[in-house]
Amino acid sequence: MKVHGFAAAMIALASTVGTLAAAQDSRTTTGGPTTDARTKWSSPRTPWGEPDLQGTYSNRTITPFERPANVGGREFFTKEEVASLEARAQQSNGDEVRNKGTRADVERAYNDFWWDRGTKATTPRTSLVVDPPDGRVPPLTEEAKTRALDEPSRPAFRGAGAAGRGTDTWLDRSTFERCITRGMPGAMSPSAYNNNYRFTQGPGFVAIQIEMLGGTRMIPTDGRSHIRSAIRQWMGDSVGHWEGETLVVDTTNFTDKVLYRGAGENLHLVERFTRVGQDEIEYRVTVDDPTTFSRPWTLVIPFVNTGEEMFEYACHEGNYGMEGILSGAREEERAKAAGK
Amino acid sequence: MGRSRLAVSVAAAVSLIAGPALGHHSFSAEFDSNKPVQLKGTVARVEWINPHTWIHIDVKQPDGSVERWMIEGGTPNTLLRRGLTRDALPPGTEVVVDGYRAKNGSNRANGRDVTFPDGRRLFLGSSGTGAPRDGRDASEK
Repeated sequence: MKVHGFAAAMIALASTVGTLAAAQDSRTTTGGPTTDARTKWSSPRTPWGEPDLQGTYSNRTITPFERPANVGGREFFTKEEVASLEARAQQSNGDEVRNKGTRADVERAYNDFWWDRGTKATTPRTSLVVDPPDGRVPPLTEEAKTRALDEPSRPAFRGAGAAGRGTDTWLDRSTFERCITRGMPGAMSPSAYNNNYRFTQGPGFVAIQIEMLGGTRMIPTDGRSHIRSAIRQWMGDSVGHWEGETLVVDTTNFTDKVLYRGAGENLHLVERFTRVGQDEIEYRVTVDDPTTFSRPWTLVIPFVNTGEEMFEYACHEGNYGMEGILSGAREEERAKAAGK
Repeated sequence: MGRSRLAVSVAAAVSLIAGPALGHHSFSAEFDSNKPVQLKGTVARVEWINPHTWIHIDVKQPDGSVERWMIEGGTPNTLLRRGLTRDALPPGTEVVVDGYRAKNGSNRANGRDVTFPDGRRLFLGSSGTGAPRDGRDASEK
């Protein structure tokens, strides 16, 4: 299962960080730029007077999603640690790492030239999660854990990550594998490639085109309310407004057909997009669902201007992978039944 | 449903969203870690499609016959962004594929490691690929 590969990768990352931390624990944290310091930068304006976020951005980064346990709770890497992490990301790549005949090696999939994970820590923070202060996603509520017990009996698997719940049918695979969605804010979080977004504005609207799995978020900024609560959408319903330099987007009306870390229809997101320099938007999202998380939590992810083109990712165009997964499972069943 | 299946499902339902290490689908569900293959062949054609590219290669068998294999690569978007198209791998190009055969037993494998016969890395060194340099490519020595 994919989650094993992920776990292995995180263990590898944690051990890398651990080595760094051990080697440099006599040094003090140098800190890093803070949002407050950088938001003094003033965006250019659109012809109709709103801050101009337009452009093509990538959110790829080697900054860990959650704070590794062995950085001593520090909020920022030292400059030396960042340099070491980036040097390692540049030099130590998946092509070099081969454990032939293992599941982990299969999950590394293909040569590095196909991947686009990035080689930069686009923020010196030790985690993209900035709140709670420990840099970790808060624990699930008891209600969420109980709810998860019902997942096997649901008509379709609802996870938006890479793991599935089985191989009996395509409905056992994640919504990511089914080319539907990575959930929210999964769709706004970095993955291993296709980490590209195009922002386009018009009076009363901001559009965000997402390369991974495709799709465009249309965010009205004309003061309208959310659609009525009976209408549920895979990406939710977003309404935005401007607060100074910042686009604030409120998203509700999620469907219960997909879960982001266990959160479904009760998910509520507040996103803040602030251009903090000529080439960077700071993306800040607060994730709240009292039925799932023991407290709200916040991610900060830099979106760095690339000036590059977007390409269509027609995910089902040639999805031999799904066919291979399901037919592979049937073959394994036949072999098992035959006593092989 | 067995206990292990339930445990897996629960873990999966609350599991982590795709992290930086992950691609779009599970390769270990599609390909068999117990069936490593090494294929030497020539490119027949390239399916330059999403979500993943497939390189079709002809592999000559000991008896002289030719077997057609399909090798799964990554998204073409990454290479397009680096200025490469399917023409970067024209028919007739000799390649060596070190990967894993599909669980369904077909002539499909992932291209875990694809090189030219002399060991040079595919695409590495091509103009503007941005591919990491790891010291394994002959051009780096």
